[in-house]
Amino acid sequence: MMNRDNAAWVNDLKDVGPNREAALDDLDAELKPALRRGISRWLSTSHPEFDDLVKDVGQETLMRVLKQLDTFEGKGQFTNWVYKIAVRLALNELRRRKWRNVSLDYLQENSEEGGASFQFPAADPLPETNMQRRQAMAELQRAINEELTSRQRAVMLAVIIQGVPMEEVARKLGSNRNAVYKMLHDARRRLKTRLEEAGLSPSELLAMFE
Amino acid sequence: MKRIIGWLKNLFSSSKRHESLFGKMIYMLASTREEELNCAQVYALLEQFSEAVLRHEPLTDLMMSIEQHLNVCPDCREEYETLLAMMKAA
Repeated sequence: MMNRDNAAWVNDLKDVGPNREAALDDLDAELKPALRRGISRWLSTSHPEFDDLVKDVGQETLMRVLKQLDTFEGKGQFTNWVYKIAVRLALNELRRRKWRNVSLDYLQENSEEGGASFQFPAADPLPETNMQRRQAMAELQRAINEELTSRQRAVMLAVIIQGVPMEEVARKLGSNRNAVYKMLHDARRRLKTRLEEAGLSPSELLAMFE
Repeated sequence: MKRIIGWLKNLFSSSKRHESLFGKMIYMLASTREEELNCAQVYALLEQFSEAVLRHEPLTDLMMSIEQHLNVCPDCREEYETLLAMMKAA
C-alpha cells in the first residue's frame, strides 16, 4: 500500500485511470478494519448482519468520498475525514434499524401523549438531606410542563428520557437533525432560566451530585 | 419474604433510575449555553477535534465549543466516540 499525504489522496482519487483504482483499493483497505472496530461498539461482530453492514457502509462511504472530494478542506487527515463519513452512515443505519418498529406517535402534533404533562417517574421519598434536590426536581417538572410547547416536551421526552436518536426523531417529524437540536436547545435554555429564576442554579445542583 | 425482597429491589432500582434521569437533565441544563454550535457545525470539525484530543493538544475556544456540544448532544457524542475508536488504532 502506498503512503499518501492529503494532497496525494485527493490527486489520485481525482485521477482517471489506474491511480484512482489503486487509491480506491488502498482506501478500502484502510477503511474496512477501522469500520469493523467502529461498528463493533454497537453491534456484536458475531451478529448475522455485521459483515454485510461493514461491506455496505464501506461501499457507500467510498462513493460519497468521490462525490464530496471537493468539499475536503484538508484541515485534518484525509483518512479521518473518510472515517467520519463512514461513522455517520453506519450510525444512522443502526439507528434506523433499532427504532424502525418502535412507535413514536406521541411526537406527532395533536397526539394525546404529546400534550400530556411530564412527570418524573414516581419515586420513593428521598432522604431529608436532599431537600434542595427535591425542590429542584419539583420545579423542573413544573417548568417542563409550563415553559415548553407540547412539541418541545415530546421531543425532550423522546431524546433525553427514551433515548431516541435525534436523527430518528427528525425522520419521524419529517424534519432534520439541526432543527431538532435547535428545538431542544431552546427548551434547555428555557428550563435553565426558569430554574435560575427560582434560585436553583443547575451548576450548583450538579455539584451536589459529584 | 421473596415478594418483599422483590418489592424492595424494584423500589431501589426505580429510585436509582429516577435519580439518574434527574441527574442527567441537570447535567444537560448546567452544560447549556446561550450560544451553541449546531450538529452540522460540529460535524464539519469533528475529525479536527478528534485529532486534537488524541494529540492531547490544549483546546482552542472553537474546540471547546465542540466539547460543549458533545456534552448535550447524544447523537454527536456517539459519532465522536465511534470516530475516536476508529482513529485510535490507526
